[in-house]
Amino acid sequence: MENSVVLLILAGVLLLFIILGYNRLVRRRNNAEKAFATIDAMAKKRYDLIPNLVATVQKYMEHERETLTEITELRAKAMSGNLSDNEKVDLNNKISRAMGGIMVAVENYPDLKANQNFLQLQGSLNEVEEQLSAARRAYNAAVTDYNNAVQMFPSNVFAMMFGFKTKLLFEISEKERQNVDVKSLFSI
Amino acid sequence: MKTLKEFKDFYNKSMHENLSLLEKRRKRILRFVLWSFLVAAIGILFTMASASLFFPKDDYYSLKVFVGVIISIIVAIVFFYVKGRDKTFYSDFKEQVIKAIVTFISPDLSYNPKNYIGLDSFQRSRIFLTNVDRYRGDDMVEGVVDKTKIWFSEINAEYKRVTTDSKGKTKTTWHRIFKGLFFIADFNKHFTTSTIVLPNRLGRSSFARFFQKMNISRREKHISLEDLEFNKYFVAYGEDQVEARYVLSTSLMKRITDFKKSHKNPVFISFVNSFLYVAIGYNKNLFEPSYFKKLNRFKIVQEYFEDIQLAVGIVEDLNLNNRIWTKQ
Repeated sequence: MENSVVLLILAGVLLLFIILGYNRLVRRRNNAEKAFATIDAMAKKRYDLIPNLVATVQKYMEHERETLTEITELRAKAMSGNLSDNEKVDLNNKISRAMGGIMVAVENYPDLKANQNFLQLQGSLNEVEEQLSAARRAYNAAVTDYNNAVQMFPSNVFAMMFGFKTKLLFEISEKERQNVDVKSLFSI
Repeated sequence: MKTLKEFKDFYNKSMHENLSLLEKRRKRILRFVLWSFLVAAIGILFTMASASLFFPKDDYYSLKVFVGVIISIIVAIVFFYVKGRDKTFYSDFKEQVIKAIVTFISPDLSYNPKNYIGLDSFQRSRIFLTNVDRYRGDDMVEGVVDKTKIWFSEINAEYKRVTTDSKGKTKTTWHRIFKGLFFIADFNKHFTTSTIVLPNRLGRSSFARFFQKMNISRREKHISLEDLEFNKYFVAYGEDQVEARYVLSTSLMKRITDFKKSHKNPVFISFVNSFLYVAIGYNKNLFEPSYFKKLNRFKIVQEYFEDIQLAVGIVEDLNLNNRIWTKQ
């Protein structure tokens, strides 16, 4: 009789242990997914600025027509939906590169640089870029937390049992490590 | 930013003369303090001597001696008050020394020796959450450094603890929450949630991380940041994981770490409603004249200059004039 009570308690404790361990993993995975969704939200904020940027800039920029068309197309593709996470990341990287190109090219157009509209837009862009970078860093922190749980004992046992897999981190580019400062590109 | 050399030139040109006059007054005050002590000492000795010579040792003996001592002290104080008091020494010191240094650092700054950062701002910063029972301050400086509005003053915030001993007697003791320089600046980015950066007193062991993450006293959650050197000195809490990182950009973390490394005093920072709050702890009273040190020496004034410069320099150290976002 007594033995069976002890066994029952042991079984209960074990079950509780498994439930808690499982929940911890789920919570961390959800945090990571939420962080990814935030990146998405910030990226959308950037998509919203693109038509504005193109409209402001194209009056001045004659030689960058191609880049402007490319960026518009990339935006359309990104807005179309039905994209996998990897495709989204890839598209956003391309948009970042194209935008960087435009911002460097602005250097050749002093009129544009003095345009009040453009300056305002530039402020918004800097802001969105910085927010995007913050969201990526938040994602990386959440994923590191999750990956630690997946790989470290004892939670790695549950991770194996329930099939939790580690997630990939964002590569933070050297440029992003610095403060995003588009203005510094102009002041040579 | 003014250099120490520029300040030295300024000191030699326009401060030294005033300080020499102040130094004369300080010496005079000190002389009268010593005289007053002497008056009191003579009075007390006289009381004692005459008591033992002339008074019988009756029941009132100690009372008589006590009254004699009190009278001697009162006479000494009245003597000092009538002859030695310098009513305007303190305010002249503030005006001719501290104000002169503030205006030298930047003419866009104004100084008010009696004013200080209000309790509401102190609490809004969310750095110190303990209930404040006594709040004092002075030496308010405010103004604009290039594009950034700043305010700072000396603050002393305390809480009260009332204890009752076994005999039922209550005793009130005062404990320090914060004493030092409290600085506010208009931050260069918009944000709506609060982010707090506190000194890391526990280190970086997993044990320390456990307690930092637990964080029972705040509504802000622990933010684990990727800058290892920053984490060595600080621990960050924020209401929003993304906004905290938006505010604490990688370059700002670096700047905060550098700022901390160049000053030994504890540094507390918070970002609330687009404002930056910095609290720097000091054990000494800031911007006060010392009656026991020679005033007209550069070393003494240099200390005032460096303390003010430290606060004004936050704008540059944390790059607050870099207005490349939508907030102008």
